[in-house]
Amino acid sequence: MTEGITRTSSRASARGGSRRKKKNQIPIALIIFVVIAGIGVWLGFKGENLLLYWVFGLAFGFILQRSRFCFTASMRDPYLTNSTSVTRAVLIAFAITSIGFTAIKYGYFANGLAIPGQSYIAAISIATCVGALMFGIGMVIAGGCASGTLMRIGEGFWMQVIALFFFVVGSLWGAHDFGWWKRTFILGGAKVFMPDYLGWFGGLLANLLIIAVIYVIAHKWENRGSNELSH
Amino acid sequence: MSKEVVLDCLGEACPIPLVKSEKALEKMEVGDILIVQIDHSCAMKNVPEWARKQGHEVELEEIDDGEWECIIEKMK
Repeated sequence: MTEGITRTSSRASARGGSRRKKKNQIPIALIIFVVIAGIGVWLGFKGENLLLYWVFGLAFGFILQRSRFCFTASMRDPYLTNSTSVTRAVLIAFAITSIGFTAIKYGYFANGLAIPGQSYIAAISIATCVGALMFGIGMVIAGGCASGTLMRIGEGFWMQVIALFFFVVGSLWGAHDFGWWKRTFILGGAKVFMPDYLGWFGGLLANLLIIAVIYVIAHKWENRGSNELSH
Repeated sequence: MSKEVVLDCLGEACPIPLVKSEKALEKMEVGDILIVQIDHSCAMKNVPEWARKQGHEVELEEIDDGEWECIIEKMK
Protein backbone atom coordinates (compact mmCIF):
# COMPACT_ATOMS: atom_id res chain seq x y z
CA MET A 1 0.00 0.00 0.00
CA THR A 2 1.24 3.48 -0.78
CA GLU A 3 2.11 5.96 1.94
CA GLY A 4 -0.63 8.28 0.74
CA ILE A 5 1.30 11.41 1.63
CA THR A 6 1.88 14.13 -0.90
CA ARG A 7 3.43 17.46 -0.14
CA THR A 8 2.15 20.63 -1.67
CA SER A 9 3.45 24.12 -1.40
CA SER A 10 0.34 26.18 -0.84
CA ARG A 11 -2.95 25.68 0.90
CA ALA A 12 -5.09 26.80 -1.99
CA SER A 13 -3.80 24.19 -4.39
CA ALA A 14 -4.46 21.32 -2.04
CA ARG A 15 -8.07 22.16 -1.46
CA GLY A 16 -9.16 24.27 -4.37
CA GLY A 17 -9.52 21.48 -6.88
CA SER A 18 -11.26 19.05 -4.60
CA ARG A 19 -14.49 20.95 -4.12
CA ARG A 20 -17.21 19.54 -6.30
CA LYS A 21 -20.79 20.59 -6.55
CA LYS A 22 -22.92 18.46 -4.30
CA LYS A 23 -25.79 16.56 -5.80
CA ASN A 24 -29.26 17.40 -4.61
CA GLN A 25 -30.36 14.45 -2.48
CA ILE A 26 -33.92 15.57 -1.83
CA PRO A 27 -35.55 13.69 -4.76
CA ILE A 28 -33.91 10.38 -3.84
CA ALA A 29 -34.81 10.96 -0.20
CA LEU A 30 -38.46 11.42 -1.17
CA ILE A 31 -38.42 8.25 -3.27
CA ILE A 32 -36.89 6.26 -0.42
CA PHE A 33 -39.38 7.72 2.03
CA VAL A 34 -42.29 6.64 -0.17
CA VAL A 35 -40.79 3.13 -0.54
CA ILE A 36 -40.27 2.87 3.24
CA ALA A 37 -43.82 4.02 3.91
CA GLY A 38 -45.12 1.59 1.26
CA ILE A 39 -43.29 -1.35 2.82
CA GLY A 40 -44.60 -0.19 6.21
CA VAL A 41 -48.20 -0.28 5.01
CA TRP A 42 -47.66 -3.71 3.43
CA LEU A 43 -46.13 -5.04 6.66
CA GLY A 44 -48.98 -3.51 8.64
CA PHE A 45 -51.48 -5.58 6.67
CA LYS A 46 -49.38 -8.74 7.13
CA GLY A 47 -49.77 -8.19 10.87
CA GLU A 48 -47.88 -9.85 13.70
CA ASN A 49 -46.00 -6.79 14.92
CA LEU A 50 -44.03 -6.65 11.66
CA LEU A 51 -44.74 -2.95 11.26
CA LEU A 52 -43.41 -2.33 14.77
CA TYR A 53 -40.16 -4.19 13.99
CA TRP A 54 -39.81 -2.23 10.77
CA VAL A 55 -40.21 1.13 12.51
CA PHE A 56 -37.87 0.19 15.36
CA GLY A 57 -35.25 -1.10 12.93
CA LEU A 58 -35.37 2.07 10.86
CA ALA A 59 -35.27 4.28 13.93
CA PHE A 60 -32.32 2.36 15.35
CA GLY A 61 -30.38 2.62 12.10
CA PHE A 62 -31.15 6.31 11.76
CA ILE A 63 -30.04 7.13 15.29
CA LEU A 64 -26.94 4.96 14.90
CA GLN A 65 -25.93 6.81 11.75
CA ARG A 66 -26.74 10.35 12.82
CA SER A 67 -25.16 10.03 16.24
CA ARG A 68 -22.00 8.32 14.90
CA PHE A 69 -22.65 5.78 17.59
CA CYS A 70 -20.11 2.99 17.32
CA PHE A 71 -19.74 0.05 19.66
CA THR A 72 -16.35 -0.70 18.15
CA ALA A 73 -15.06 2.80 18.93
CA SER A 74 -16.42 2.52 22.46
CA MET A 75 -14.08 -0.39 23.11
CA ARG A 76 -11.18 0.68 20.90
CA ASP A 77 -10.73 4.42 21.47
CA PRO A 78 -9.85 4.15 25.16
CA TYR A 79 -6.73 2.25 24.09
CA LEU A 80 -6.02 4.27 20.99
CA THR A 81 -6.64 7.86 22.07
CA ASN A 82 -7.73 7.64 25.73
CA SER A 83 -11.07 8.99 24.57
CA THR A 84 -14.00 7.43 26.40
CA SER A 85 -16.82 9.67 25.19
CA VAL A 86 -18.34 6.88 23.07
CA THR A 87 -17.68 4.34 25.84
CA ARG A 88 -19.69 6.48 28.25
CA ALA A 89 -22.45 6.93 25.69
CA VAL A 90 -22.72 3.13 25.43
CA LEU A 91 -22.80 2.84 29.22
CA ILE A 92 -25.64 5.36 29.41
CA ALA A 93 -27.48 3.36 26.74
CA PHE A 94 -26.97 0.19 28.83
CA ALA A 95 -28.31 1.95 31.91
CA ILE A 96 -31.44 3.13 30.10
CA THR A 97 -31.93 -0.33 28.58
CA SER A 98 -31.54 -1.97 32.01
CA ILE A 99 -34.32 0.18 33.42
CA GLY A 100 -36.44 -0.47 30.32
CA PHE A 101 -36.18 -4.24 30.22
CA THR A 102 -36.50 -4.57 33.98
CA ALA A 103 -39.74 -2.61 33.76
CA ILE A 104 -41.04 -4.84 30.95
CA LYS A 105 -40.04 -8.07 32.69
CA TYR A 106 -41.41 -6.91 36.03
CA GLY A 107 -44.65 -5.85 34.35
CA TYR A 108 -45.18 -9.39 33.06
CA PHE A 109 -44.09 -10.92 36.37
CA ALA A 110 -46.40 -8.70 38.43
CA ASN A 111 -49.35 -9.69 36.26
CA GLY A 112 -48.55 -13.36 36.69
CA LEU A 113 -47.54 -13.82 33.05
CA ALA A 114 -44.49 -15.64 31.69
CA ILE A 115 -41.53 -13.28 31.71
CA PRO A 116 -40.47 -12.58 28.09
CA GLY A 117 -36.91 -12.93 26.86
CA GLN A 118 -35.76 -15.33 29.57
CA SER A 119 -34.27 -17.66 26.95
CA TYR A 120 -31.69 -14.94 26.24
CA ILE A 121 -30.10 -15.37 29.64
CA ALA A 122 -27.05 -17.27 28.51
CA ALA A 123 -24.60 -19.19 30.65
CA ILE A 124 -21.45 -17.25 31.42
CA SER A 125 -18.09 -18.93 31.60
CA ILE A 126 -14.53 -18.50 30.38
CA ALA A 127 -15.98 -19.09 26.90
CA THR A 128 -17.76 -15.73 27.21
CA CYS A 129 -14.43 -13.98 27.82
CA VAL A 130 -12.63 -15.79 25.00
CA GLY A 131 -15.49 -15.11 22.60
CA ALA A 132 -15.65 -11.45 23.60
CA LEU A 133 -11.91 -11.02 23.02
CA MET A 134 -12.14 -12.67 19.59
CA PHE A 135 -15.14 -10.57 18.64
CA GLY A 136 -13.28 -7.47 19.79
CA ILE A 137 -10.24 -8.23 17.63
CA GLY A 138 -12.49 -8.98 14.68
CA MET A 139 -14.57 -5.83 14.92
CA VAL A 140 -11.55 -3.53 15.18
CA ILE A 141 -9.99 -5.09 12.07
CA ALA A 142 -13.30 -5.07 10.19
CA GLY A 143 -14.01 -1.47 11.19
CA GLY A 144 -17.36 -2.18 12.75
CA CYS A 145 -19.42 -4.55 14.83
CA ALA A 146 -22.62 -6.05 13.43
CA SER A 147 -24.82 -2.95 13.57
CA GLY A 148 -21.93 -0.64 12.64
CA THR A 149 -21.08 -2.72 9.58
CA LEU A 150 -24.69 -2.66 8.36
CA MET A 151 -24.98 1.06 9.02
CA ARG A 152 -21.81 1.86 7.04
CA ILE A 153 -22.90 -0.24 4.09
CA GLY A 154 -26.05 1.87 4.11
CA GLU A 155 -23.84 4.94 4.05
CA GLY A 156 -22.12 3.61 0.94
CA PHE A 157 -18.81 2.50 2.39
CA TRP A 158 -18.21 -0.48 0.14
CA MET A 159 -15.23 -1.97 1.90
CA GLN A 160 -17.57 -2.91 4.70
CA VAL A 161 -19.43 -5.26 2.32
CA ILE A 162 -16.40 -7.56 2.57
CA ALA A 163 -16.75 -7.48 6.34
CA LEU A 164 -20.47 -8.28 6.06
CA PHE A 165 -19.81 -11.20 3.69
CA PHE A 166 -17.37 -12.83 6.07
CA PHE A 167 -19.59 -11.95 9.00
CA VAL A 168 -22.34 -13.98 7.34
CA VAL A 169 -19.93 -16.81 6.50
CA GLY A 170 -18.61 -16.87 10.07
CA SER A 171 -22.10 -16.76 11.55
CA LEU A 172 -23.27 -19.66 9.38
CA TRP A 173 -20.20 -21.69 10.29
CA GLY A 174 -20.72 -20.84 13.97
CA ALA A 175 -24.40 -21.80 13.79
CA HIS A 176 -23.48 -25.07 12.05
CA ASP A 177 -21.20 -26.17 14.90
CA PHE A 178 -23.00 -24.38 17.69
CA GLY A 179 -24.41 -27.58 19.20
CA TRP A 180 -20.92 -28.90 19.84
CA TRP A 181 -19.66 -25.61 21.28
CA LYS A 182 -22.71 -25.41 23.52
CA ARG A 183 -22.33 -28.95 24.86
CA THR A 184 -18.57 -28.71 25.30
CA PHE A 185 -18.00 -25.22 26.67
CA ILE A 186 -21.09 -23.15 27.24
CA LEU A 187 -23.42 -25.35 29.28
CA GLY A 188 -20.86 -25.66 32.08
CA GLY A 189 -21.32 -22.00 32.98
CA ALA A 190 -23.78 -20.46 35.37
CA LYS A 191 -26.95 -18.71 34.27
CA VAL A 192 -27.42 -15.54 36.25
CA PHE A 193 -30.66 -13.60 36.32
CA MET A 194 -30.03 -10.94 38.93
CA PRO A 195 -33.62 -10.55 40.18
CA ASP A 196 -33.45 -14.23 41.25
CA TYR A 197 -30.63 -13.37 43.62
CA LEU A 198 -31.19 -9.76 44.62
CA GLY A 199 -34.85 -9.18 43.96
CA TRP A 200 -36.22 -6.98 41.19
CA PHE A 201 -35.17 -3.68 42.69
CA GLY A 202 -31.85 -4.99 44.01
CA GLY A 203 -30.98 -6.54 40.69
CA LEU A 204 -31.65 -3.32 38.83
CA LEU A 205 -29.74 -1.32 41.43
CA ALA A 206 -26.75 -3.68 41.25
CA ASN A 207 -26.77 -3.44 37.46
CA LEU A 208 -26.89 0.36 37.54
CA LEU A 209 -24.18 0.51 40.20
CA ILE A 210 -21.84 -1.64 38.11
CA ILE A 211 -22.48 0.61 35.11
CA ALA A 212 -21.89 3.72 37.25
CA VAL A 213 -18.57 2.35 38.51
CA ILE A 214 -17.42 1.61 34.95
CA TYR A 215 -18.58 5.10 33.95
CA VAL A 216 -16.46 6.71 36.65
CA ILE A 217 -13.46 4.59 35.67
CA ALA A 218 -13.98 5.57 32.01
CA HIS A 219 -14.12 9.24 32.97
CA LYS A 220 -10.93 8.94 35.03
CA TRP A 221 -9.25 7.05 32.18
CA GLU A 222 -9.92 9.89 29.76
CA ASN A 223 -8.61 12.57 32.13
CA ARG A 224 -5.59 10.46 32.96
CA GLY A 225 -4.51 10.91 29.35
CA SER A 226 -4.81 14.69 29.39
CA ASN A 227 -2.97 14.98 32.70
CA GLU A 228 -0.03 13.10 31.27
CA LEU A 229 0.05 15.42 28.29
CA SER A 230 -0.02 18.60 30.32
CA HIS A 231 2.97 17.61 32.45
CA MET B 1 7.79 28.52 6.19
CA SER B 2 5.12 26.14 7.30
CA LYS B 3 4.33 23.25 5.05
CA GLU B 4 1.16 21.43 4.25
CA VAL B 5 0.69 17.69 4.11
CA VAL B 6 -2.26 15.96 2.49
CA LEU B 7 -3.05 12.53 3.86
CA ASP B 8 -5.27 10.44 1.61
CA CYS B 9 -7.36 8.14 3.77
CA LEU B 10 -10.26 7.71 1.34
CA GLY B 11 -11.56 4.17 1.54
CA GLU B 12 -9.79 3.51 4.83
CA ALA B 13 -11.91 2.23 7.66
CA CYS B 14 -11.73 3.48 11.17
CA PRO B 15 -9.25 3.56 12.97
CA ILE B 16 -6.68 3.62 10.14
CA PRO B 17 -7.16 7.37 9.41
CA LEU B 18 -6.56 8.16 13.05
CA VAL B 19 -3.41 6.06 13.29
CA LYS B 20 -2.07 7.50 10.03
CA SER B 21 -2.81 11.06 11.16
CA GLU B 22 -1.03 10.40 14.44
CA LYS B 23 2.07 9.16 12.61
CA ALA B 24 2.04 11.95 10.03
CA LEU B 25 1.63 14.64 12.65
CA GLU B 26 4.53 13.25 14.67
CA LYS B 27 6.90 13.92 11.78
CA MET B 28 5.67 17.47 11.27
CA GLU B 29 6.68 20.70 12.93
CA VAL B 30 4.66 23.24 14.88
CA GLY B 31 2.68 25.45 12.53
CA ASP B 32 2.49 22.82 9.79
CA ILE B 33 -0.89 21.86 8.44
CA LEU B 34 -2.15 18.32 7.95
CA ILE B 35 -5.15 17.71 5.73
CA VAL B 36 -6.69 14.31 6.27
CA GLN B 37 -9.13 13.20 3.60
CA ILE B 38 -11.67 10.76 4.99
CA ASP B 39 -14.85 9.06 3.82
CA HIS B 40 -15.51 6.78 6.78
CA SER B 41 -18.10 8.49 8.92
CA CYS B 42 -16.59 7.19 12.14
CA ALA B 43 -13.17 8.71 11.38
CA MET B 44 -14.86 12.04 10.83
CA LYS B 45 -15.76 11.97 14.50
CA ASN B 46 -12.68 10.51 16.13
CA VAL B 47 -9.92 12.24 14.12
CA PRO B 48 -11.08 15.80 14.98
CA GLU B 49 -11.87 14.79 18.55
CA TRP B 50 -8.43 13.29 19.04
CA ALA B 51 -6.63 16.24 17.42
CA ARG B 52 -8.52 18.80 19.51
CA LYS B 53 -7.69 16.90 22.66
CA GLN B 54 -4.05 16.99 21.68
CA GLY B 55 -4.39 20.77 21.58
CA HIS B 56 -4.27 21.32 17.82
CA GLU B 57 -6.42 23.64 15.76
CA VAL B 58 -8.99 21.60 13.86
CA GLU B 59 -11.42 22.38 11.10
CA LEU B 60 -13.74 19.89 9.45
CA GLU B 61 -15.14 20.43 6.02
CA GLU B 62 -17.49 18.27 4.00
CA ILE B 63 -16.08 18.58 0.51
CA ASP B 64 -18.47 16.14 -1.13
CA ASP B 65 -21.35 13.90 -0.06
CA GLY B 66 -19.75 11.62 2.49
CA GLU B 67 -16.24 12.95 1.99
CA TRP B 68 -14.53 15.14 4.52
CA GLU B 69 -11.31 16.99 4.95
CA CYS B 70 -10.04 17.34 8.45
CA ILE B 71 -7.61 20.25 8.57
CA ILE B 72 -5.26 20.06 11.51
CA GLU B 73 -2.78 22.78 12.39
CA LYS B 74 -0.06 21.43 14.60
CA MET B 75 0.11 23.63 17.68
CA LYS B 76 2.76 21.91 19.76
